[in-house]
Amino acid sequence: MNRQDARSVGELLLDADFTTRQVLMDVTSEDAPAMLRTWGEVVQSASELWATLPPPVGGGSSPIDGATMARLESMSQAMHRTQVRQGWPGDGPADERLLHVAETLTRAADLIGRRGGHIRPSDPEVRADLDAARMRIMHTLYVGAHGVGVAARHHVRDVELSTRGKTSQESRGVPRGQDAVKRLAAFEQLAGAYVGNRYARAAQGEHVRGPYGAERLQQALIGWDIQAHRTLAASPTAANLLLVSRTQAGIATAAGAILQAGARTGHVDTHAYEHRLAPTLDATQENWTHVAGRWAEMTSPADRTDMDLVAAANELRAAVREIAHDKTTWARPDVMAGRVDLGEAAQHLQQALSSAVEVACVIRDVAAQDTNLTGPARAMSHRANAEVDGAADHGQRGEDVVWVAPGDVFANRPVTIPEPVRAGLVDATDTLVQTAGNAMSAAACLDRVTQDRAPGSGQEPTAPRSRRHEEPTHMAQEVPRVARP
Amino acid sequence: MTNQTIDQDEWATLAAVARLLRHAAVCAWARAEAEGPRSHLHLLGLGIHTASCQVAAMLPADADPEGQHPAQDDIAQLLRSAEELTRSIPVVDRMAGISPLVVAICDLVREATP
Repeated sequence: MNRQDARSVGELLLDADFTTRQVLMDVTSEDAPAMLRTWGEVVQSASELWATLPPPVGGGSSPIDGATMARLESMSQAMHRTQVRQGWPGDGPADERLLHVAETLTRAADLIGRRGGHIRPSDPEVRADLDAARMRIMHTLYVGAHGVGVAARHHVRDVELSTRGKTSQESRGVPRGQDAVKRLAAFEQLAGAYVGNRYARAAQGEHVRGPYGAERLQQALIGWDIQAHRTLAASPTAANLLLVSRTQAGIATAAGAILQAGARTGHVDTHAYEHRLAPTLDATQENWTHVAGRWAEMTSPADRTDMDLVAAANELRAAVREIAHDKTTWARPDVMAGRVDLGEAAQHLQQALSSAVEVACVIRDVAAQDTNLTGPARAMSHRANAEVDGAADHGQRGEDVVWVAPGDVFANRPVTIPEPVRAGLVDATDTLVQTAGNAMSAAACLDRVTQDRAPGSGQEPTAPRSRRHEEPTHMAQEVPRVARP
Repeated sequence: MTNQTIDQDEWATLAAVARLLRHAAVCAWARAEAEGPRSHLHLLGLGIHTASCQVAAMLPADADPEGQHPAQDDIAQLLRSAEELTRSIPVVDRMAGISPLVVAICDLVREATP
């Protein structure tokens, strides 16, 4: 303990909080064993500090009571007992950063114990300070548990990959690590409930229990599809349309990466991927991105997005990352194949590419028919002029028209979208429907590939199918274009 | 879910966080589009955008978080700046949502930092 430490309790609490944030930003798979060894000390120190704070006057009428902390401490103790019994992660060094957090919390507890006799919790200001201190402690545990959970999850993934095909003795770290991951997730959820975690799912696609791998991807894709339809039916605002379009672009991007990995590892026909899937996926991704850009022009910073839609997008992103990412970029194909059955993932993506056509049609209908669409006056004026200039370049020169009133442009008020802007949107979404249809047709081969695979083949790659030379079915004739407004 | 009792300084800080995140998402998407449809940055941009949606949901209904665009375009640095700003926002009942926001931003910093 540093005898020269003259910091206040508030400063010590901030130090503990900021240290756990830094840990979370820097954490790696290799940190997991040391962090798991040290986490119990952090929780114990937090619990001791909590106990030194005077209880609320009149008992625990508010959520600020000791029940949550008591539960967290017992969860942490149970986790520690399991670690000792299983001999995992075993003896070794502690995590210095978490040790610092534990010591800082202990220092705060000492300070209150020695000098806190004067604290009168009946005073409203003091009560507010105490509530803030409890909230900061719980927040620190919430952020810290998330950091340890991230490290443990990455560690399990690495051990799983490095011990594939080895004995159960050698791979015993996997089930033990998975158990730790689940317990930390439960801990995080409980602490999160205390700190008013109303946005937790929306914030990070939080996934406490449930399926992993391809099954999680499937559920996330289905959940996204349902939520996108619900949101667009209830509130087809530019902000919601932007998120839907960006997420659909993300699905196309992820499909490209996962299917490419499937092709390289023998789960997807290489020729079909290179000549049919990849070009149509890229085209639909570019069109979703283009349409998203149009909706972005119509949003303002004050716009709100449906938080259920945000939650669905986050869960989808998290499911994709679990399969396809390795820190800052895509995982190698063999790594992805080690995580999930890429044939199964391909089938889920094939279904998502079919659903994408319907989402594109809904968006096209909004673009063509929704008379409530508005956008900031300046952006709408620029876009309208750009559309007219574009038409003039193609030989359709019209009269000079002021599409947005100068007063609206000056104040940048929201205005109903001008006719050329709507026409441009309809053109862009028409093209989107066509390219999404092309991707759907090209992806139909994934279903056949999967059906051809031997039952019970698990994660073993199948031999690539013989080349097919079918061209994708173009959807231009199948999906009628909507009438211009 | 909008909190009407946020005081002015906290509101201003939160609005600045929203601006940084929005700009970081725009930068991530611009780089993604330059790299092509397979760029992993499309999904990073999506994550940053959803974090900015969360901040917008925390702001008062009548707030207009317009303001000066951040001068720099380094995605990781913008995210770190956003995280640093959240350090001055109290973790109290009236700021419900700040804890998961902090976690989301820290996760994004890790994801964006090579």
